[in-house]
Amino acid sequence: MKRRSRTRGIRRIFSLMVVSTIIVIFVAGCGQPPTMSPSAPAEEGPEGEIIIAQGVDATTLDPNMHAETPTNNVNIQIYDSLLMRDSDGELFPGLAESYENLDDNTWEFKLREDVYFHNGEAFDAEAVKFTLDRILDPENSSPQYSHISAIDEVRVVDAHTVHIVTSKPFPTLPSQLVARQIVPPKYTSENGADHLASNPVGTGPYRFVEWVRDEKITLTANEDYWRGMPSIKDVVFRVVPETSTRMAELQTGAVDIIVNVPPHQAESLESSDATYVSRAPSSRVIFVGMVTTQPGPLEDVRVRQALNYGIDVDAIVDNVLMGNGIPLASQPVAEIHHGFDENLAPYPHDPERARELLEEAGYGDGLRLSMDSPSGRYLMDRETSQAVAGQLEAIGVDLDLNIQEWGVYVDKIMSRQLTDLFLLGWGNATFDADATLYPFFRSGQQFCYFESEEMDEKLDAVRETMDMDLRAERFNEIMGVLSEEAPWIFLHQQMDVYGVSDRVEWTARPDELIHAFDARIRADN
Amino acid sequence: MTGYLLRRALHAVLILIGVSLVTFMLMHLTGDPVTLFVPLDASPEDVAIMRTAMGFDRPLHTQYLDFLGGLVRGDFGDSLRHRQPALELVVERLPATLQLTFLALGFAVLAAIPLGVVAASKRGSGFSLLTYLMGLLGQSMPVFWLGLVLILFFSVNLRLLPASGRGSLAHLLMPALTIGTYSMAMLMRLMRATMMEILSQDFIRTARAKGLSERVVVFKHAMRNALIPVVTVMGLQLGTLLGGAVITETVFSWPGLGRLLIQGFNNRDMAVVQAAVFVMALMIVGANLITDLAYGVLDPRVRYG
Repeated sequence: MKRRSRTRGIRRIFSLMVVSTIIVIFVAGCGQPPTMSPSAPAEEGPEGEIIIAQGVDATTLDPNMHAETPTNNVNIQIYDSLLMRDSDGELFPGLAESYENLDDNTWEFKLREDVYFHNGEAFDAEAVKFTLDRILDPENSSPQYSHISAIDEVRVVDAHTVHIVTSKPFPTLPSQLVARQIVPPKYTSENGADHLASNPVGTGPYRFVEWVRDEKITLTANEDYWRGMPSIKDVVFRVVPETSTRMAELQTGAVDIIVNVPPHQAESLESSDATYVSRAPSSRVIFVGMVTTQPGPLEDVRVRQALNYGIDVDAIVDNVLMGNGIPLASQPVAEIHHGFDENLAPYPHDPERARELLEEAGYGDGLRLSMDSPSGRYLMDRETSQAVAGQLEAIGVDLDLNIQEWGVYVDKIMSRQLTDLFLLGWGNATFDADATLYPFFRSGQQFCYFESEEMDEKLDAVRETMDMDLRAERFNEIMGVLSEEAPWIFLHQQMDVYGVSDRVEWTARPDELIHAFDARIRADN
Repeated sequence: MTGYLLRRALHAVLILIGVSLVTFMLMHLTGDPVTLFVPLDASPEDVAIMRTAMGFDRPLHTQYLDFLGGLVRGDFGDSLRHRQPALELVVERLPATLQLTFLALGFAVLAAIPLGVVAASKRGSGFSLLTYLMGLLGQSMPVFWLGLVLILFFSVNLRLLPASGRGSLAHLLMPALTIGTYSMAMLMRLMRATMMEILSQDFIRTARAKGLSERVVVFKHAMRNALIPVVTVMGLQLGTLLGGAVITETVFSWPGLGRLLIQGFNNRDMAVVQAAVFVMALMIVGANLITDLAYGVLDPRVRYG
């Protein structure tokens, strides 16, 4: 119940924010600490240290030149973006105090004054332009390019006002700006991007101290942080690639927060006095896509529905994921996404109905399909694929399961060599259904294996709908069609599982990020 | 001798070019660095723009020749992900891997030779049986499993050693033991078998008949001869150890070359993989050369020409 009301809250915030040309002012008055920041600043000076263990090292500390969560987890401590998200996924003002749409293609951002980079350089409109321009310059081959390639121009109006002009209406621009962290223009141009990549300077709550590659990154509190002084003094990111080793490090008290706890090991952390488990439904959904665009059984909606009735998602969540998943409500997005239709329910597990539908479609004697799956990319992905194959066998569908390494699999996906079925996970960190629906159900897109003119029109229309309520309405209509047409076997929304030391207070977030600024060291420690 | 060295150097160059070509082809055959680099939902147009910007739109042979051209100048190109010269990344991690590999090799040799010698000279004893079991176990335990068991025992249960990371000598013990166990077992078995064979030969009987003490017979006459095959295998073991480092470094979060290589491969980060494989190949070629030269020291009959 609580989550539902939160979702409505998110939606309300969304509609408040982007609606046409009404000015949305987040923080009234200037100079005082932002009241909407989720964390109250520390009352005394920062104290203590927390150690966070991730599976891989950051690849670069240049925040504009990567698209990886573990790297982002380090960079968000050092840098800020124009808009930020709190632990419930709601946007709040970051380096931008407020923004408004001047027209459908022009956005005006008013920037916070008196913010300085760690080296003393002032944050201003030039920094915003410099940052976005370097992502948009193909010469720099930034992997973030495609996220904002709809931006035509970034215009400096005055020291604290920026206009962003887009080539078409771009309603998810605010979401996209959350992950564009602002770098200091003078420092970066003078020293070069290579220097920034290993000697980062931002406006964020922590300053960079040291990076021992593949070993650890050390940060220390920025006491002049504009959102208030951080509570914890030192933050260390350690690299511990092997899951069992990460568990051992947490159990022995050598680290405080670990990522990706395997489902079957979460219980041992929960039952220990020294550790606890924090979970969050992630923005990633796991599903089995169907290639409906080639002649064959999957063209028939009855077959597609039969496959959905044939799968017992609850059993997969309970037994493969040990409860660390939420079944999808027969739509491609989860509750945390804008556009989720709360009136839809998951396909029930009904093997009888599945067999009837297959019989009607002319496959009463059985059916043979192939299925591709990655291994080690998503939580228990291979095991999930094997469970799907096992369950489908029970309704007379034989699967040729082809499990492969991620690099090989991506190549197959991108060159569109998929046949029949494929297991995939889709993380949608914009929290808006468009970033899931468009690539998968708009004809001509990379992942689209379900083509319909009606769907194309609907998706094109919603893509340029700036009114958030109308947007939700249009999304809901699309969800209804997709639920019926069943172009995917809807599996589950992934749950992120973290192990946390009892001496630290911290809650998992739906965007996979770990903000040290929001963590606390318990007083009795 | 100089001619021999020159010939060997030429062989090494050919081997390294071959290794780089095979690496290049395998990387290109198994995945596309561009699609792994950009977000999955990047539009085909955006992917094409990136491909051109990164230079992967050029024909394969051009890319390879450019790579060779860079190689001559000692330039492997920049890592796609780290945005740093690849060779720099490799050189940064080299000390950690060398430290681990040499400690492991040292442990393997120092434990294997005495154990093998004693086991051979006390044939049929309980001690001999024990070394036989150690050899069997040491060679059949997967490196990965051994590492995790050590962590569970020494770190989680006894809280004696840090579970992972690098820093103190305590950090080194478990990884070195893990990585060196296989080589130790294999060298010990070889030492034991060779010693046994040599101890039954005529010249040993002659030496004993001359009235030499058993110690002189075993350590001076037999061991020196038994060392020749062991040295050969030791040289080859360096390759095994480097391979083991890839797994061990992952288990113990050891910041070395092996992990860089694995991540580089997962991301199809061409320059990093090329540089790492090149440096590893160079080390193995070098180790083989040293092994061959060591024969001359151990066996005066060996001549290089």
